Amino acid sequence: MPVSLKKNPVDLAFLVITATASLSVLVLILGIVFVLFSESALSIKEFGILRFIFSTDWNPVIESYGAATSLFGTAVTTLLSLVLAIPVAIGIAIFVTEIAPGFLKGPIGVAIELLAAIPSIIYGMWGLFTLAPIMADYIEPALQDTVGRIPFVGILFEGTPMGIDLLTASLILSIMITPFTASISRDAFNLTPAIVKESAYALGATKWEVMKNIVIPYSKLGVFGGAVLSLGRALGETMAVAFVLGNNHQITSSLLDAAATITVTLANEFTEADTDLYLSALFNLALILFVMSFAILAVAKFFLLRAERKFTR
Amino acid sequence: MTVKVEVKGLNFYYPGGVQALKNINFSVYKNTVTALIGPSGCGKTTLLRCFNRMHDLYPGNRYEGEILLDGRNILSKNIDLIDLRSRVGMVFQKPTPFPMSIFDNISYGLKLRGIKKKSVLSERVEHALKQAAIWDEVKDKLFESAYTLSGGQQQRLVIARALAVEPEIILFDEPTSALDPISTAKIEGLLEHLKKSVTIIIVTHNLQQAARVSDWTGFLMLGELVEFDATEKMFTSPREKLTEDYITGRFG
Repeated sequence: MPVSLKKNPVDLAFLVITATASLSVLVLILGIVFVLFSESALSIKEFGILRFIFSTDWNPVIESYGAATSLFGTAVTTLLSLVLAIPVAIGIAIFVTEIAPGFLKGPIGVAIELLAAIPSIIYGMWGLFTLAPIMADYIEPALQDTVGRIPFVGILFEGTPMGIDLLTASLILSIMITPFTASISRDAFNLTPAIVKESAYALGATKWEVMKNIVIPYSKLGVFGGAVLSLGRALGETMAVAFVLGNNHQITSSLLDAAATITVTLANEFTEADTDLYLSALFNLALILFVMSFAILAVAKFFLLRAERKFTR
Repeated sequence: MTVKVEVKGLNFYYPGGVQALKNINFSVYKNTVTALIGPSGCGKTTLLRCFNRMHDLYPGNRYEGEILLDGRNILSKNIDLIDLRSRVGMVFQKPTPFPMSIFDNISYGLKLRGIKKKSVLSERVEHALKQAAIWDEVKDKLFESAYTLSGGQQQRLVIARALAVEPEIILFDEPTSALDPISTAKIEGLLEHLKKSVTIIIVTHNLQQAARVSDWTGFLMLGELVEFDATEKMFTSPREKLTEDYITGRFG
C-alpha cells in the first residue's frame, strides 16, 4: 500500500488529511491531561493526593481544600440517578423491542431520541422552576410521611423539604440519562438472534418468559455496558444539577439536603477562585473527574466489546 | 394409516398481501416422516411454520383455509398458541441452545408447563437426552453451559429439548444445513428412530436426505404444491414433469 501512495498524489493527500485529523484528537487529549496535571501541581504539593481526596474541608477563607464533599455529592447523585433510571430504561427497551405493536415502535423510538436531544441547561431550568417546587410541596413531604417513618431508612429523608437537594438533582439526572440507557439497552436486546427467540416461542413460552429467560440473559453484558456508559454521562453532567443541588459542601445522611458535585463546584467557583491555591484545587478536582470518567468509559467499552464478540462468532 | 394432520385449501399471505402459499392440500400420516422439498423461495419453510403458527409472532401475516390437527382446525382464532406449540415442536436451521446449562435447556419447556419436582425433571431430561442419542456425551457435564457443545451436539440437544415436552409432531426446518456430514448422518438416523413416537415434518434442501429419511414427500414451487406422494414413488416415477426436472437436477 505505501508503494501505491507514493505513486498517487491524491491518495497521499488523502492520507495526510485524514491522519492529521485523527492525530489531532490524540494531541488534544494529551494536551488536556498535561494542563490538568500541571495546574493541579500546586494543590497536589500542598495537600498530597490522598489527603486531598479524603479531606472534607472546602474552605476558601483558610485556604484548606479537599475533594471528599464533592466526591460525595457526585457519587450519591450519579448512583441514585442510575437506580432510578435503569428500571425505567429497561422497561422502555423491552416495550419497544418486544411488546409494542409495529405502529408504536417508531414514534416511541423518536420520542426517546428527542428526549435525549434536549440540552441539559433546559433540564436544569425545568428542574429549578417546575420540579423543585413540586418536590418541596408534595413529593418530599409525602416521602417523609411514609418511608421517612421507617427506622434507619428514615435518616435518608430528614430535614426541611426545600426541593433544592440531592433527591431532586438525582431525579433530574435520571430523567436525562433514561433515554440514553433505554436506547443502548434496546440495541443490546436487538442483538439476541431472532431464531433463538423463536425457539423459545416454539416451546410454548410467553413473551414475558422469552424476555426473562432468553433476551435478558443474552443481552446482560450489553445492558451492563450501557448502564456504565450512562454512569459516565451522569458523572460529567453539570448544568442539569447545578440549579437544583444548592452547591453546599457537606456530607449529609439526608437526601433532602443540599450538596455539591465536582462539576457543580467547578462551574460555580472558577470565577471566585482568587488565589493560586484555590484555582489549583479546582483543577485538582477536574483531574479526579477526568480520571474517573476515563476509567468508567474503559469499563463500559470492555463490556460492550465482549457483548458484541459473543454474538459475532 | 391414521391421518394426523390434514391441510385443506391453505393460502398464506405475508404483509402487504404477498401470497406465499396457494391452495395447499395434503395429509400427514401419524408416525411417518413427511419431507417438503423445492427450490429456494418456493414456500416450504413458510408452509412448515404454519403448523405451529410461528407466523403469528410477526404482524401482518394472514392464513386462509384449514389445517386440521386430529380433526381440529389449528388456524382458528380461538386456538391457544401456547398449547398448540407444546403439541407441535420445532427444530431450526441452526442450533439454538438457550443461554443456560445443558440440563436447564432440556428442562426449560417442562418448567414452562409448571413441572417443578426435581426427580421428575431429571428423569424426563435423561429420557429426552437418551432419545436424542446425546446422553452419553453430556451426562457428565449436565450443568455446564450448552455453548460448550459442538454444533452437531447442540442440534441434538435442541432436538432433545423439543422431545422433552412430549410433542405429537416435530417440525424440522433444514436441521442439518449447518452441520458436517457425520453430524448429519447422526441426525438422520435419529429421525428414523423418533418416528416411532412422534410424527415428523421436515423441510430440506438436500434431495438425497429427503429420499433417505422420509416416507412421504411434497414438492413445492412458487407457493404451490406441485406433487405429493409416497417418497419412493416420487423419486422413481413422479407424475409431474416439473417434479422430474427438479429431482433429476435440471433446475433448482
